[in-house]
Amino acid sequence: MIYEEPRFLPGGDRYMLIEFGDEMNLELNFRGQDLANVVAEQKTKGVLETAPCFASTLIHYDPELISFADLKKEMASLIEGLRPADDIELPSRLFYFPTVYLDPWTKECVEDYIAKIAKKTPDPEYVAELNGLSGVDQLVRVHSGTEYWVASLGFWPGLPFTMPLDPRCRLVAPKYNPPRTWTPKGSVGMGGMSTAIYPEHLPGGYQVFGRTPVPIWDTEKRFPVFENSICLFRPGDRIRFVPCSIEEFEHVEAQVADGSYQYNLVEYQKFSVAQYKEWVAGIDETQRF
Amino acid sequence: MFEVMNAGLETAIQDYPGRVGYWNQGFPPSGPMDHWSFRLANVLVGNEPGDAALECQFTGPELRFHEDTVVAVTGGDMQPHIDGEPIELWRSYAVKAGQTLKLSYAKTGARGYIAVAGAIRTEPWLGSRATFHKAGVGGFEGRAIQAGQQIPTGDASGGTPDMVVIPEARPELPSDKRWEIEVVAGPNDDWLDEAGVRTFLEADWKLSAKSDRTGYRLEGPGDRLTFADKAINKRPEHGSEPSNIIDQGYPNGAINLAGLTPIILVKDGPSMGGFINPFTVPTSGFWKLGQVRPGEVIRFRAISVDEAQRLAREMTRICSRESLRPA
Repeated sequence: MIYEEPRFLPGGDRYMLIEFGDEMNLELNFRGQDLANVVAEQKTKGVLETAPCFASTLIHYDPELISFADLKKEMASLIEGLRPADDIELPSRLFYFPTVYLDPWTKECVEDYIAKIAKKTPDPEYVAELNGLSGVDQLVRVHSGTEYWVASLGFWPGLPFTMPLDPRCRLVAPKYNPPRTWTPKGSVGMGGMSTAIYPEHLPGGYQVFGRTPVPIWDTEKRFPVFENSICLFRPGDRIRFVPCSIEEFEHVEAQVADGSYQYNLVEYQKFSVAQYKEWVAGIDETQRF
Repeated sequence: MFEVMNAGLETAIQDYPGRVGYWNQGFPPSGPMDHWSFRLANVLVGNEPGDAALECQFTGPELRFHEDTVVAVTGGDMQPHIDGEPIELWRSYAVKAGQTLKLSYAKTGARGYIAVAGAIRTEPWLGSRATFHKAGVGGFEGRAIQAGQQIPTGDASGGTPDMVVIPEARPELPSDKRWEIEVVAGPNDDWLDEAGVRTFLEADWKLSAKSDRTGYRLEGPGDRLTFADKAINKRPEHGSEPSNIIDQGYPNGAINLAGLTPIILVKDGPSMGGFINPFTVPTSGFWKLGQVRPGEVIRFRAISVDEAQRLAREMTRICSRESLRPA
């Protein structure tokens, strides 16, 4: 559902979470991103930083400069003026990520969790079963069968929160209870309907079933793609996971180590929301790959 | 400049409020856990309250100064000595070139703060000198200070020796290992039902040893928390567990319900994720998280947004020269 009126929720003395709805779709993501962009352009008084995500925007404000009530009024008026999603066309890059699905590294991580923290069905089998797939091979086909839309960055520097653009590839999964204490760097996993890549060896809550050797953040800026930012992605980018073998993974890993790796991407192409919606309307969403 | 003779357990350069402005890329603020003691340490030596200074955890460092300067130690009692002579907390001292300041283990609290006149002057990273250990950025070479390092400091000539913080301006640590910490309801408090909110606020929560600068795990009746209908009957993209929500921005200080384990997201914590945050620790309660030790007990007390903002304003007033007098 997209709320008729956004909800303005307090987070302590310095944060406001603005919720636009409770589903995952491009329109809501654009609301969140557009509000953040407008706030940045207008330099709204008292706003220190924002964190837009799938269906919401978090505002960090200085209560000495603007009260919660005034911030709410200000944000409501900015939201009124946001462009309709159907009008949106934006430049979008497409990144290809070699990915070993059903890899030994996330398998080891899940087995460690099961042994030390809590019993559970291993992640690939669990996600396949929950989504009515015939098995882990179909999980790989479905998960790698779509482009993913980078809705936002967060959790850790550079980590992309993404959603599948092809409705036939929508999968859902619960998040870990309790979360893992570690996840291998480069793990690919999902929770809710979101897919993410772990930029580092980190705790985590997503179900993990693949791994990529390609770095997505780099404080040393060793590759040209990091020239403008140490984070690879920007909201509005797209990702495709390309299934590969362990040998290919190791080959890329060695290229990354010696600096010869070339990021595989298609530079800016126009992405039109109206055209996307038209394409989706023509698809039988019940079909899986 | 000063030299690190002995680093202590984990001593790091921080500034306040830290690395603000990059939450949308996932960079946490970092900065001191106990911002009250931190700011007063700076004020004591004549610095601005937010200037870069040292945060020490459980066991402090030994430092040798290469020039005449002014130092002050605040926070938990790490039994500071200058050249073997004990000195008081909450007081600034002139030190001569060649003298050493040595801290020991924390007799009270968990973190001590050391400010030096002219402040620490390492290279800022994304606008701040705060150390973000896990990412290896900020501070000095991206991590806790190490023995043998020479840490640059600014001009010490404006240093203010022989000042003390008046007793009523010092944070009070509980003597019975039980803490009352303020929380504000939200952003996702309506995902718990009334009984769930009551359980959360009435429970004793023990700080787990599995805690660090990204998150403080709490042990307690997490599995007795009960949820509102919206947490149970919801769209599948949230994830099916009651605490699962479509990924959203996290306030720093939020109490994140990860599965059924509450985790307070602290200074190096995540900016986003897919679990609910029913409560948030505001600025006025946050300093206590810098002094509570694993195994100690926390009870939460709900206050309003207005009250939290009033308390933070009062704390900023306290963390100023108003709270000093000559020794």
